[in-house]
Amino acid sequence: MFKIENLKYYYPGSERPALDGISLEIGEGEFVLVSGASGSGKSSLARVLAGLIPDFYGGRFGGGVYFQGRDIRAMDRRKLARQVGMVFQDPEKQLVMTGVEAEMAFGLENLGLTQKEMFRRVAEVMSFLGLTELRHRFTAGLSGGQKQKLVLAAVLAMQPQTLILDEPTSQLDPVAAEDFFNLVKRLNEETGFTVVLTEQRLERCFHLADRVIIMEEGRVAVDGSPEQAARWAAGSGKPLVPPVARFFSALGVPSPPVTVKGGRRLLMRSLGGRALWGGPGPGGPPASSSKARAPVLEVKDLWFTYPGGGEALQDINIMVGAGEFVAVLGENGAGKSTLLKVVAGLLRPGRGRVLMMDGGRLTEKRGRYPGRRVAYLSQNPNDYLFQDTVEEELLFTLKNFGMEDGGIVGELLEDLQLGRHRWANPRDLSSGERQRVALASVLVTGPDLLLLDEPTRGLDYGLKAGLGGFLSRRAESGTSVVLVTHDVEFAAEYATRVIMMFAGRVVSDGSPHEVLGRSFFYSTQIGKLCRGFCDGILTFSEAVERIGPLFFKKKLSGSSH
Amino acid sequence: MLDKLFYSEKGSFLQALHPLAALVYLGTFLALALAFTHPLYLLGILIVLILALWLAEGLEAWEGCLKAALLMMLLVMIINPLVVRAGDTVIWHGPGIPVFGRLTVSLEALCYGAVMSVRLLDIISVFCLYNLTVHPDRALNLFSRFAGKSVLVISLATKILPAMAWDLERIRSVQQVRGVDFGKGTFKEKIKKYSSVVNILLLSSLESSMETAESMQARAFGSGPRTCYSRSLWRPRDTLVVSCCAAALAAALWGLLHGFGRYTFYPQLDYLIDGSGTVAVLLAVMSSLSVPVIAGWGWRRWHCLKSKI
Repeated sequence: MFKIENLKYYYPGSERPALDGISLEIGEGEFVLVSGASGSGKSSLARVLAGLIPDFYGGRFGGGVYFQGRDIRAMDRRKLARQVGMVFQDPEKQLVMTGVEAEMAFGLENLGLTQKEMFRRVAEVMSFLGLTELRHRFTAGLSGGQKQKLVLAAVLAMQPQTLILDEPTSQLDPVAAEDFFNLVKRLNEETGFTVVLTEQRLERCFHLADRVIIMEEGRVAVDGSPEQAARWAAGSGKPLVPPVARFFSALGVPSPPVTVKGGRRLLMRSLGGRALWGGPGPGGPPASSSKARAPVLEVKDLWFTYPGGGEALQDINIMVGAGEFVAVLGENGAGKSTLLKVVAGLLRPGRGRVLMMDGGRLTEKRGRYPGRRVAYLSQNPNDYLFQDTVEEELLFTLKNFGMEDGGIVGELLEDLQLGRHRWANPRDLSSGERQRVALASVLVTGPDLLLLDEPTRGLDYGLKAGLGGFLSRRAESGTSVVLVTHDVEFAAEYATRVIMMFAGRVVSDGSPHEVLGRSFFYSTQIGKLCRGFCDGILTFSEAVERIGPLFFKKKLSGSSH
Repeated sequence: MLDKLFYSEKGSFLQALHPLAALVYLGTFLALALAFTHPLYLLGILIVLILALWLAEGLEAWEGCLKAALLMMLLVMIINPLVVRAGDTVIWHGPGIPVFGRLTVSLEALCYGAVMSVRLLDIISVFCLYNLTVHPDRALNLFSRFAGKSVLVISLATKILPAMAWDLERIRSVQQVRGVDFGKGTFKEKIKKYSSVVNILLLSSLESSMETAESMQARAFGSGPRTCYSRSLWRPRDTLVVSCCAAALAAALWGLLHGFGRYTFYPQLDYLIDGSGTVAVLLAVMSSLSVPVIAGWGWRRWHCLKSKI
C-alpha cells in the first residue's frame, strides 16, 4: 500500500533532519505500530503518510513516498483524502463544527458528495460506532473519549482505505483509551483497514499490532514483529515496550509474550503453576505512615458542590506528611482534580476545612489565593507560558511574591535539565520541556506542598521516568508531593502512598502495595502478571528481583533433568 | 447560568420546526416589532413572545436577558424625555444646562421612551427565543449554500467563543497560583495583569489554530467545490407556521397602509384605541402569531398531534 524510499525531511528552519533515510513498505490490511521517544520522528512519519508533509508544513523533502504505486506528492489532494484518513492527538483541536452530525459530514462536504451519499455514509458510520444517541448533541458537551470517537467517525465517513492515527489516546483516560484501541482493532479485523498507529502508551496497544516499528532520531531502529521489537528494546535497555514484555526479555526469554495472558501462561509453565512465594502478601511492605511524619496538610470533613452540579467531594479527610509522595487515582469525575483545586485554594470548600502547617501548627488558610507555600501545576502547561525567556517565567513568579533570586532559578533549571534553554522562548520548546518550565515556574518559591494534575499525560517512558525521579528527589528533600493521575504504573513506581477516589469519596488509602495490590483492575501490568504466583509485586524491578532468581532456578533444574 | 442561554435539545414544538420555518417565525416578530409604533401592538407582540418562551421552557433564560435589558430600557426612558422637546404637555421644568438649554420633561416624550423600551424588550426576546429554539448548525446550514466559507468561519467562532471563556478562567487561576492578585493594584496595574492572561490565551489559541487547520486539510478542506449537508425535513407544521406568519404580515401590512399600528406621540398623545379597526388588526396579528404557540401547547399535551403535524 505504502512504499517509502530513502526519505529525508527537514522542518522549515531546522538543520536537523526530522526523518533521516527512511525506507519501508506497508502492506494492505496491516496493523503497524510506530513507537519511539518524543522527537524520534514518529509523528512526522505519520504526516508524511497522510500527505501533510511537505504539503502543509513546507520544509526540505528528499526521497520518494508512494501510495498504491503512485507518488503521493503528485496525487490530487481530494483523491488522497478519500484514501487516507488521519486522526490527531488532541480531539478538542480537530473539531470544526458545533454539532455532532455536522462534524461527521464536514469531510464529506469537502469531498463534494451528493446529499444522498452523505446521508448514507453518516448513518452507516453512526450506527457502526454507536454514535446515534449523540447525533443532536453539541461537540463541546462531549467527553474526551466521545470527542475522539467522533473525530474517528468523521474520518471513517470519508471511507478511506488507510487510517493514520497519531497518538490518538494521549489526551484520554485509560478507560476511554482502551475503548478507542478496541474500536481500531475491530476496524482492522472486520473491515480490513490498514492501520498505522503512533503511540507511547504501549501496554494497551502493543499486542494489537501485526508489526512494530521503533524509531530513533528520525531513523527506523527496528522493524519487525512485536516479539522482535520487545527483544530489541530489552537488549538495548530502552523502556519502549510494555512492562510484561520488558520483564520476560530481561529474563532472557527468546520470544517474550506481550500480554498479561501470555505472560501468565509462560509463568505457569515455568514455575509449575503454583504460588512459589508468599511474599509480604497483598498487604505489601508497610506504608511510610503519614502519622510518623510532621503533617503539612490536613483536609478535614471536606465537601464541595459545583453550582448546578452534583457533589464533587463528599466528606474527605486526608493528612499529608512532610516529604510524602501521594498519588490520587480514580476514574474521570471521581473528584480528583476538584480536590486538588480546593487544596490549592482555587475553589472554596462548601463545608469542612483545609489546614496548612504554619509556624509549627496547622491553621486554616486565609484569603482567596494559595500563597507561595503551595505550588500547583494544572493539566495544561501552556497556561503558564507567556514570557520571552524561560528565566523570565521563573522570575515572574518570584516577583509576584516579592522574593529575590538567590541562585534558585539556575539551580532549579539545572535540576530540571533546562539549563541550556534558560534564554530560549518557552513556546519554542517541546511539550515535555514546556511542562518542566511550567513546573519550575511554580517550584521557584520553594513550596512545602506541590500539587500536580495529571503531569504524565502525553509523556513518553523516558520523560515520565525523568519526572518521577525529579519528584521523588523533591519529596526526599522534604517537599510533599500530591499528584492526580490515571497512570497506575507511574503511581506504583514512584509514589509512597496511593489514595483511590470514587464518586467524590476516598475509597482506599495506603501504600501502593496495600491499595494497588488489592485492586483487581487498578493494578499494574506486572501486578496482574504476578497475581497468584507471587503477590505483592507491582513494578518491573520488584518482579526482576523476586521472580527472576526463581525463574532461573527452575530453568536450570529443568535443563539438568 | 450561562448554559441556560444557549440551545439545548428539549423536544419542544419550535425546536422541531425546519430552521427556515423557525427563522421566518422569528423574523416576523422582529419585522413587526420594528414596523409598529403603537403601544398596544408592541405589548401584544411581547405577550405572544412570552408565551412562546414559556412553551420553549425559556422563561428562566429570558429573566436573565430581562435583567440585562432593564438598564438599557431605563436609559431609554430617562434620556428620551430629557433630550426631546416635541411634547406639548410639559410635566417638569428642570434647570438650564449649557449647550442643551433648559431641561423640560413632557408627558409625550416620557410615553415615547416607555413604548420604545417595550420595543427593545420585544427585540431582545426574539433573540432570546432564537438562542433557545434554533440549533446553530442547522440555521447556519441554511446559508452555507450561498456563503459556505463565511458560514464555516461563524461556525468555528461560535464553537471557539465558549471554549475561550472557559480557557480564560483556567488561565486566570493559574496566574493566581503564581502570585498574581487580580483584586489588588491601580487600574493600570490591573489592566496589565489581565493583559497577560489574554496574552497567554492568544498564544495558545494561535498554536491550536494550526492544529485545527491541519485537521481540516487532512479532511480535504479547500480541495475543490464543497457540497452542503442538510438533514432538515419540511413537515406540515412548517407549512402551518409559515402560513400563520404570512397571515400576520398581510394583516399588519393592510393595517399599516390604513393607519393602524402606528401611533402619534407628538405634539400630543393620540387616542390609544382609535376606532374598532385598531382592535381588529391587533387581534388578527396576535391570533396569527399565536397559532404556533397554541400548536406547541397541543403538541406537549396530545401525543397524536405530534405525529399528525
